[in-house]
Amino acid sequence: MRTKRRNWGAFGFLLPATIIYLSVIVIPVFYSFYISLFRWNGISKMQWVGLSNYITLFTKDPIFHISIRNNLIWIALTLFLTMSVALLLAVLLNKQFHGRTFFRGFFYFPSVIAPIAVSIIWRWMYEPNFGFINQFAHTMGFTFFQTWLSNPKTSLYAIFAANLWAVVGQTMILFLAGLQTISVDALEAATIDGAGAIKRFIHISIPYMRETFIIVFATLIIAGMKVFDIVMGLTAGGPNNSTEMLSTYMYSQSFRYNNVGMGTTVAAVMVLIMLFIIVPYISFTAKEH
Amino acid sequence: MTLTGKQQKHFYLLLLYALLLLIALFWIAPMITLVLTAIKSKRDFYSGLSLFSFPEQIAWRNFLMALTRGRLLTYMKNDLIISGFKVPIGIFIEAMAAFALTRLKLKNATPIFIFFLVGMMLPFQIALVPISVIYNKLKLTNTYFGLFYVYIGFGLSYGILILRGFFLGIPKEMDEAAYVEGCSKWQIFLRIILPMAKPAIATLFIVDFLATWNEYLLASVIINDNALKTVPVGLMTFVGEHGTDYGLLCAGVLISVIPVLAVYLIFQRYFVEGMSGAVKS
Repeated sequence: MRTKRRNWGAFGFLLPATIIYLSVIVIPVFYSFYISLFRWNGISKMQWVGLSNYITLFTKDPIFHISIRNNLIWIALTLFLTMSVALLLAVLLNKQFHGRTFFRGFFYFPSVIAPIAVSIIWRWMYEPNFGFINQFAHTMGFTFFQTWLSNPKTSLYAIFAANLWAVVGQTMILFLAGLQTISVDALEAATIDGAGAIKRFIHISIPYMRETFIIVFATLIIAGMKVFDIVMGLTAGGPNNSTEMLSTYMYSQSFRYNNVGMGTTVAAVMVLIMLFIIVPYISFTAKEH
Repeated sequence: MTLTGKQQKHFYLLLLYALLLLIALFWIAPMITLVLTAIKSKRDFYSGLSLFSFPEQIAWRNFLMALTRGRLLTYMKNDLIISGFKVPIGIFIEAMAAFALTRLKLKNATPIFIFFLVGMMLPFQIALVPISVIYNKLKLTNTYFGLFYVYIGFGLSYGILILRGFFLGIPKEMDEAAYVEGCSKWQIFLRIILPMAKPAIATLFIVDFLATWNEYLLASVIINDNALKTVPVGLMTFVGEHGTDYGLLCAGVLISVIPVLAVYLIFQRYFVEGMSGAVKS
């Protein structure tokens, strides 16, 4: 009798979270998958088309292909560049010296600025005639001229660089936390055995940080799939759809062209791709607990 | 030339500082550019004043215009209201759920926890169209409530993750003693667990406040009335209206960054602790 009452109480405590979670996330997610099976402009009658939206996307939608490619490029770039820069900063800022707290705070600071504000700052940095980058290059004696954002060849990388500036601090903090888990004894033992700094890092620090690396990998890949604000603020997917991401394509299909069926299909594909990442990650996290 | 141990140490320290300062120079350039642009008038630009120099007079007009004609004052007020509702209510609901998951001998606590965790990984996009369709029907578009309600929904996963991790570390003896003394679950939650979780709640409060203050995607779909927009959506409108007047734009961005900078400087230690806490839990 007593345990039964106790569990009713537990439901009471879970109730508000459950109601909100169901109404904001669970039901809309299933509703989205449902809408993706229709041709619909969001207002008039829905027209059942089965899986035809999915087939169209994969077989004859070049912009969708560009979007997937861009997300993959983005993920590859973050796993290589964001991770390297963050790890470098973390290792430097893990040393004992005056001002390290200041530097940690300094490199983390761009992460707390709204991505939309970041994108406006970088719009101006990249401005071809008066912006910082071209002006600076000019001052340094370079004569080249580049329209960073309106050139399809450079625009994606320009956005990535702006994003790197903004978010690298977050990954740095994760690595800093990971570096604390390394056993000092193991490092000292290796030093006595004559291992140099680089050897120690590869053979002791990195294995100790296995969990940290998994978390960093997962967060960077998920962030790479979700990236939206900074692209929206800098190019909105242009020029000529060259910087379109799944997220921006979903947005423009749904809310600019009222192609709601297609928009939700893109969102559904995003989720399906992410499930491949999430399921192993969640099972890992759950095991840790 | 061989260096003694001490000299070697000094040399490495010097190298470290040099490397850090070099990277820091790259990192501060956009902020300096932002400030130097915001304080220049249109005339300064047309007269060919270099980006890197100071104007004769600080263009206060940029800031005044951004606040009034650019409506930044309104946007900041709206954002403050939304965050002011979202953050405390959200944390309270998350704490209740985390309390149930860690303290009340729930049979399926782990599967329920995982169920709540999934929301953290899902992109907002997957719920966007249904939310906008339902909101149109229920007349919740262009309301404060409509926006902070979905914010609470999308914040649940992270909040429950952090608070659950912290609650697990509070010794069980605490509540058992209280049960013996005849306290109810609510009393234990409100008088023992919540006060003990202050550090986690403080961290969550700040991280959550900034995430809410900065959110763009959901706000751009739910709010399109200029009088109700939040700062990020407002900034995009601002760009649309004053596209190439970078002095004005930068002044607007600078104003929008100042509250964030203040919060950050005051509560900085919580960030580092909070983020590392997320790794440990």
